[in-house]
Amino acid sequence: MRHFGSATISALAVICAGPAIARDFTIAAWGGNYQDAQRAAYFDPFAKAQGLTILETTYLGGLAELKAMGDTGNVTWDLVMMGGTDAQLACDEGLLEEIDWEALGGGSVLLPGAVQECAVGNVVIGNGFAYNASAFPEAPKDWADFFNLEKFPGKRGMTNNPTMNLEYALMADGVPPAEVYAVLSTPEGVDRAFAKLDTIKAELQFWEAGSQPVEWLVAGNVGMSTAYNGRIITAKKEGKPLEFVWNNHVYNMDVWAVPKDSPFKDQAFEFLKVANDAAAQVKFSEKMPYGPTNTGATAMMPAEVVANLPMGDNISTALAYSDAFWIENYDALKERWSSWVVQ
Amino acid sequence: MSSAPRPYGSRAAALILLMLPVALYLLVFVYPLSSVVTLSVDNSALSGRFENLSALGTGAAPDDEAAALLADLGGMEKKQLGEVARMLNQQRSGFRSLIMSTGKEAEGITPTMAELVAFDDRWSEPGYWEIIRENAAPITWKHYQRALGITVAEDGSLSSGEDLYLQVMLRTLVITFQVTLLTLLVGYPLAYAAANASARVSTFVLAVVLLSFWTSVLVRTTAWVVLLQTNGLVNTVLVSLGLVAEPVQLIFNRFGALLAMTHVLLPFAILPMLNVMRTIPPSQADASRSLGAGPIETFLRVYFPQTLRGVAVGGGTVFILSLGFYVTPALTGGPEDQMLAWFIADFVNKTLNWGMAAALSVLLLVMVALLVAVAGLARWATARRKVEVA
Repeated sequence: MRHFGSATISALAVICAGPAIARDFTIAAWGGNYQDAQRAAYFDPFAKAQGLTILETTYLGGLAELKAMGDTGNVTWDLVMMGGTDAQLACDEGLLEEIDWEALGGGSVLLPGAVQECAVGNVVIGNGFAYNASAFPEAPKDWADFFNLEKFPGKRGMTNNPTMNLEYALMADGVPPAEVYAVLSTPEGVDRAFAKLDTIKAELQFWEAGSQPVEWLVAGNVGMSTAYNGRIITAKKEGKPLEFVWNNHVYNMDVWAVPKDSPFKDQAFEFLKVANDAAAQVKFSEKMPYGPTNTGATAMMPAEVVANLPMGDNISTALAYSDAFWIENYDALKERWSSWVVQ
Repeated sequence: MSSAPRPYGSRAAALILLMLPVALYLLVFVYPLSSVVTLSVDNSALSGRFENLSALGTGAAPDDEAAALLADLGGMEKKQLGEVARMLNQQRSGFRSLIMSTGKEAEGITPTMAELVAFDDRWSEPGYWEIIRENAAPITWKHYQRALGITVAEDGSLSSGEDLYLQVMLRTLVITFQVTLLTLLVGYPLAYAAANASARVSTFVLAVVLLSFWTSVLVRTTAWVVLLQTNGLVNTVLVSLGLVAEPVQLIFNRFGALLAMTHVLLPFAILPMLNVMRTIPPSQADASRSLGAGPIETFLRVYFPQTLRGVAVGGGTVFILSLGFYVTPALTGGPEDQMLAWFIADFVNKTLNWGMAAALSVLLLVMVALLVAVAGLARWATARRKVEVA
């Protein structure tokens, strides 16, 4: 019996280990139009220059996959695009390769927040709210309007998470963007954010995927919804009557990282040079309305492209998302959020 | 003894043939299950990291404690430091930065309490030290305490605190019961039709059931979203018929979640009931009618009792399956309809709190085991009563 069991285990081990021996350079990113634009701006030129075949897959956020790769030693990704918070957490856990900034030219051409220990900031994303232009006679213009059910009746779309939503609630309650995280660091500030959220709780509808706010707003399921600027502006270009509100939006960064012990580590670092290139970033932003991290890219972009990006005039009233705050407080605030949802 | 050929081959051959399935069963079921249980109480990732501090015991001089802590933190690899910081931060916000910053500078800090507090004054709060001390044991019940909403006071007495997960568990049970009942109520007549109607009707019913059985859960769930949304097909029909003045909220609430879950799970209820119904000879009904029973009495006393076995199997399957449902309620339910599996997935993927995910999974399993035990007990009791009556 024991022999038989161990034979089975070794047979299974051989079967499972088989495919890991030889595989193509693998990139995990957010999928959809976002990844299509990355393919055109970065993946295809890089594959051609290096003579590589690239395999693409989808990453859904979180650290579970990277942790599993680190624990089993079976590293199946060579490059991953993740949120800044997750990248910092993964870096602390030793799940990512450290970036050799000297080899990348020091990173002085990038935004300061893009230069991280284990990651390279590549994309700036605007998180705000959107509405269907045909739904209201008067356009909502700030977070106070988002929380005003009398003037703007209808359901409100939101993620089922405290991140960003607590910031939105405080700004709706009159906290200036510069003071949001200071207020949120106090117990009274957290109470204040939840009290503001209480006022729209009955009308909340939670979205999981970035495509849902677009579908819901077009179908009239919700009056307003928080959303990524890229999704809304892409839908608008396709003729949907949607508007994105830039006022007091929260912008954060998506970063490229290399999973620890990737067999294609050297090629992955070569890729980072392509991703940092100003011209390539302009090409990406023209296809997908998210902002560049190379400060030189701004000057190369036509004004009508800039008007749809979280940069320039659009970020004059914006709040920079704090990865540091959420790394520290996510566990406790997530539990508070879930309890609030259940009650 | 006799040389006649044994009709079923040798017992040894049967045993050998059984070994592979048993080994596979152990490998794919018992092993993961036991590792989940282990994960829910295992604290070795934390307990082993503070060796110097644990060796001191309670009542040591503050300077010795500071020196022990710095030795422990300084001795950790970067990866271990990150892991320890994450786990401690799950118990108290802010612990992460305290551990990370102190750990990175551990060698540069003079090992006295005064210097440690000067580096970061949070070390003067006894709360942080207490949490580290609590985690000195390799086995922990903290995940279960949190899952069950139990708070342990300093003197060891228990009291109930936040009962978030208990509420979610109760909600999961309620939704599961509702879905089971609905699938049986809808499924029974359908199975009856498939078993007893003309060949054409029965083929049609079976085809519809099997077709939806073979379609992906995600596709069927999304189809309900399209049908039920504010300006979807159902609402458009209702409004144009004048049945409602304006679109009704049919989805992103309990109604939508129940409808979609019932539809997704319906085949699991219908197929076992159909199987049983097909074995009941139609001549029994004829016999009952010829002996003077009306159609209702025939159904209730002759037909229905014989189908209960199928109802039990179908209902049981639906019950167990819907307890673990995740995608369908997430896409069609509202904030108040998320089930326990959603929270488990969140712990696994977002916060890497696998201990908490494991504890919640074990509680879900215990809940099922208890229900099965109660059902078994009830059956046993009825069977005994019948014997006594006889």
